[in-house]
Amino acid sequence: MTQVLFSSFLVAMLSVPVLTLISCRWAKARALPAVLLMGSLAVGIAVATTALYGGQKFVIDVSQVASFSFALSVDRLSAFFLLLICSVSLPVILFSSSYIPRHYSGARRHWLWAVLPLFLMSMVVVVTASTLFAFLFGWELMTLFSAGLILIDGDSEERRHSIFVYLLMMHAGAAAVIGAFLLFLPHAGNFAEMRASATSMPPTLRTAVFLLAFVGFGTKAGIVPLHLWLPRAHPIAPSPVSALMSGVMLKTAIYGFVRFAFDFLGGGPSWWGYLVLLAGCVSGLLGVLYAIAEHDLKRLLAYHSVENIGIIYLGLGAALVFAANHSPVWAALALTAALLHCLNHAIFKSLLFLGAGAISDAAQTVDLEELGGLLKRMPLTGTAFLIACCSIVGLPLFNGFVSEWLTFRSFLAGSEMSNFSAAIILPLAAGVLALIGGLAAACFAKVYGVAFLGRPRSREAASANEVPLPMQAGMGALAAACVAIGVFPGLVLRSLGKLTAELLPGAELPQAATSLSGILPWIALSALVLVASIAALKRTKRLTATWACGLSGLNERMQYTSTAFSKPLRKVFSQVYKADRTVEVVPDGTPYFPVSISYRSVRTTSFERSLYRPGVDAIVAAANRLRQLQTGNIQIYLLYIFAALIALLVFMRFV
Amino acid sequence: MGLFETAAAKALASSGVFLFMTVLLIAAAKRTSTCIALFSVQSLVITAQIVAASGMHHLREGFAIAALVLIVKVIAIPYALHRIVEELKVPRDVSSSTSSSQSVFIAAGLILLSFFAVRPYAGVLGGDQAMLAASVALVLTGGFLMISRKKALMQVVGLLVLDNGIFLAALTTTFGMPLVIEIGIVFDLLMGVFLMGLFVFRIRDTFNHADVSKMRRLRG
Amino acid sequence: MTLAMNVVQVLLLILMAPLVRGVIARLKARIQNRRGASVWRPYSDLLKLFRKEDLVPPSASFVFRLAPIVVFTATLVVAAFVPLLHGSALLNATGDFVLLVYLLALGRFFLMLGAMDGGSSFGGMGASREALVSTLAEAPFLLALMSVAIAAHTSSIAGMVRWTMGQNFFQFSAVHALAFVAMALVSIAETGRMPVDNPTTHLELTMIHEAMVLEYSGPSLALIEWASGIKLTVVMALLIALFAPWGMASSLSPLAIAIASLVLLLKMTALVVALALVESSVAKLRMYLVPDFLGVASALAILAVVFTALMR
Repeated sequence: MTQVLFSSFLVAMLSVPVLTLISCRWAKARALPAVLLMGSLAVGIAVATTALYGGQKFVIDVSQVASFSFALSVDRLSAFFLLLICSVSLPVILFSSSYIPRHYSGARRHWLWAVLPLFLMSMVVVVTASTLFAFLFGWELMTLFSAGLILIDGDSEERRHSIFVYLLMMHAGAAAVIGAFLLFLPHAGNFAEMRASATSMPPTLRTAVFLLAFVGFGTKAGIVPLHLWLPRAHPIAPSPVSALMSGVMLKTAIYGFVRFAFDFLGGGPSWWGYLVLLAGCVSGLLGVLYAIAEHDLKRLLAYHSVENIGIIYLGLGAALVFAANHSPVWAALALTAALLHCLNHAIFKSLLFLGAGAISDAAQTVDLEELGGLLKRMPLTGTAFLIACCSIVGLPLFNGFVSEWLTFRSFLAGSEMSNFSAAIILPLAAGVLALIGGLAAACFAKVYGVAFLGRPRSREAASANEVPLPMQAGMGALAAACVAIGVFPGLVLRSLGKLTAELLPGAELPQAATSLSGILPWIALSALVLVASIAALKRTKRLTATWACGLSGLNERMQYTSTAFSKPLRKVFSQVYKADRTVEVVPDGTPYFPVSISYRSVRTTSFERSLYRPGVDAIVAAANRLRQLQTGNIQIYLLYIFAALIALLVFMRFV
Repeated sequence: MGLFETAAAKALASSGVFLFMTVLLIAAAKRTSTCIALFSVQSLVITAQIVAASGMHHLREGFAIAALVLIVKVIAIPYALHRIVEELKVPRDVSSSTSSSQSVFIAAGLILLSFFAVRPYAGVLGGDQAMLAASVALVLTGGFLMISRKKALMQVVGLLVLDNGIFLAALTTTFGMPLVIEIGIVFDLLMGVFLMGLFVFRIRDTFNHADVSKMRRLRG
Repeated sequence: MTLAMNVVQVLLLILMAPLVRGVIARLKARIQNRRGASVWRPYSDLLKLFRKEDLVPPSASFVFRLAPIVVFTATLVVAAFVPLLHGSALLNATGDFVLLVYLLALGRFFLMLGAMDGGSSFGGMGASREALVSTLAEAPFLLALMSVAIAAHTSSIAGMVRWTMGQNFFQFSAVHALAFVAMALVSIAETGRMPVDNPTTHLELTMIHEAMVLEYSGPSLALIEWASGIKLTVVMALLIALFAPWGMASSLSPLAIAIASLVLLLKMTALVVALALVESSVAKLRMYLVPDFLGVASALAILAVVFTALMR
């Protein structure tokens, strides 16, 4: 039954682009692609739910009919990520059903509706693949389709460069992933064989596999310092696409890493865990610090993806450390925390990007310095965005808190271990997580306060209108999910417990994990009653002017801007930013009344300067030297081929 | 076990942490006078430790050493240093080359380092590990204070902290040195402090400040 | 019976809060050679504010009026975490220290938003400064609590307090001294007292919390003021309960409760006097020295965690 459901899901997804292209001339069918896509995603949710809660495995294997081994199968881990992809994409598509026609017309609209389902499909293939070929097929297509979606907004020099960086890094990452697979040879055919052969692998080979997977998937996930593409590629895509890329696509990398580290290799020595923890700490801290300094909303959100991937890696690292120290129960807790944060981040980050889309729809810009007072003009968008902000900051009663709490809890459990370094390092990682949380709170207080509260800072923001109903509904659904998981975490935790028990033999979710799901509904209820009763108290309200020290003429330019808000934090963490500031003063006789003053502050991240620049320079130099081979003379080229042939013949003679 | 023994054992076990605390606070302190007061507290902790240890092992000599330390390090030297600060009339801050939170983090790092450094020897010597670590940490942070603080007076304080560390190391590894040597060292130190105090005055009078970092013309 | 007692504890914390502020203000006045207002003054202030109308700036949205309610509610829930007279709290097993820290963060987040909704530069300034202070205070706060949690093998606040009560004073780990100092430093930043913030100032150059609530008036202001009073009292009660819980009732007999109340009164008085003395004797820190201040707290908290893990 589910087998049929799964196949029909795949067929339905594939049919959407075909039908879109067929029906594109038919004006009445404009809503068709979105409806079809949402329908097939709903089927996907049904498939994933039955697999996740029921624990059925099912396989679609075309190896018998085709000459290559291409098989998809859904176990609990795949089902969880399938659920994540489908359930988050559904509201995003709902949002797009109104967003895309408003912003794109003609061929570009059809292109979007044709490529979007293919992009989703490629992600589905990645998380359900059970052979090497199927996985890499999905993996490469995912990169290409997402690049195609980014290209939709034109191809200026800058955008082309960003996409070039994106593709370049993705290919480098994919090379590492392929390497990790190839090390399993001759058992690299399908996942079951790889799992079986991993136990008999020599330790050095296992380490090589782990490191390659760490780098390869880390590039896709955007851990620092492999994150360079992320703040470049995400902001320039259309907002729903950014939502899918940040919220969903990054998670496929987590899926791949979990598949390798836990499923195939079954954990390893402690230092693997420490490495992942370190990556998590660095990504989390730098991600949020770079985010604070941004005032382009979408780029800021992209940096926050780096931060949240860091938080996920903290959980994964802790799980690896626990697994190495033979405490599978706590490893299960940490892994649950990481996976739940994947889901939570997918939900609230998509919502935030959709909110950014709604803002750009209403106010024609996502530059925070031009916004303000949007909540009064866009109440529903504003409320949904507020819920997303609370979630990403990790405030209680919203979903981000649940996964961060589980991470904290597993760090605390780390102190119980007999291994001294683990007992010290894990609790200290909690301090890093707390610092990340505090910085995120500061950042989103800035975002929300500057964009949605106070007075509008530009005419566009002052005349913004609420977005149409489908867009509101898409955001509303995601916001509801944030609150639902935040108040009733038990909904997801139980099935995640079964999933981790499958990955880590002998593990059951500890009691500690469920204590939170017992208390949160009660806190929510009592808080609701309290808030409602205080709000119901009769309070007379009178509108008065904002206090301006008794003077008149307060205007919107006098409000704190995004840049001003973040100044104290930027000053304290100035070591991280290393800003290049230039102040040019054109004097006019006396130094007191200059003709003009211009101020520029350029921030290239220190990674770019000290890590990538020398590498890029070396490659360019090498390429220049190799260029001498290219004379342009056809006879010389023929000579090369001839020489190669001779060399091969000689070589074959001696082998 | 009587009350005294319990208290003594507890004092011995916990004094390491109190010493760490004084070290951290000295690193955090912004005024010279605070540093001197904290040094006095630190010496007091060591005195309590000597008393506790002597009580536990029933050593008469220990009480004499304790009294000596109490008089010299807790009262006399801090008093003298306070007088110097008052008479000097230079700005009261320690003028450090690292900010106070940086200093505290560095001091914390040195404490952790000393902890890991003494781990292998703790079993061999049979001494309390925290105590041995504390003595190494005192030596290290004393050195750090002398390096990072620019005021000549703070170098005296750094030296004193360093000396406390050496003293503590002797105390924990072989319960102290013979009384005579102990007395000799303490008086040596006392003389050292007075000499350095005199020098600080001379420096101030000659250069009109007491900032060591500004004296660069000492090279030949 | 226990439940009733726990409810009484929460109510006591809430109702006591204005008095604590009143006593501090009065003590400070005395130390500074002023006569000072009556210790009951904060109650009449609250009463007066509740009777007035809410003045709302034209730019404000619903967040402006929601923020004080959220702040108050979050603080109220936090009050249910802390044992006061005997070793349990309303949220007994589940009153987790991470939840406590994050509930306080929830209130603060909304207060920052409310401040920015006013549309003046004061609100933004206060929020920006609060963001700096609270960001850097969160990590040491959590780590200090965590070091106690590691020693007590439990994450619930009430459980930690019960564990500490079970230790006799001499066996009590000295590591707690580190955690205590870290917590005390953080508490000062968290509750906006000197030398981090000056609760009595109205000079834009120096204020943090006061700048945030500048636009508020009437019942909204009353809620915020009361909430910050409760926060101060809760943090003081937390310091007492975690680091010096001896004297708390272990049974629910009237005598034990009476003794516990008396002991609590003494400890609170001691803390209040200490706070008043500190506040009258130190100068407010320049804002860019606050990170230094909190850096010291962080280093102490880190060491506390490391030592608890080592000495376990």
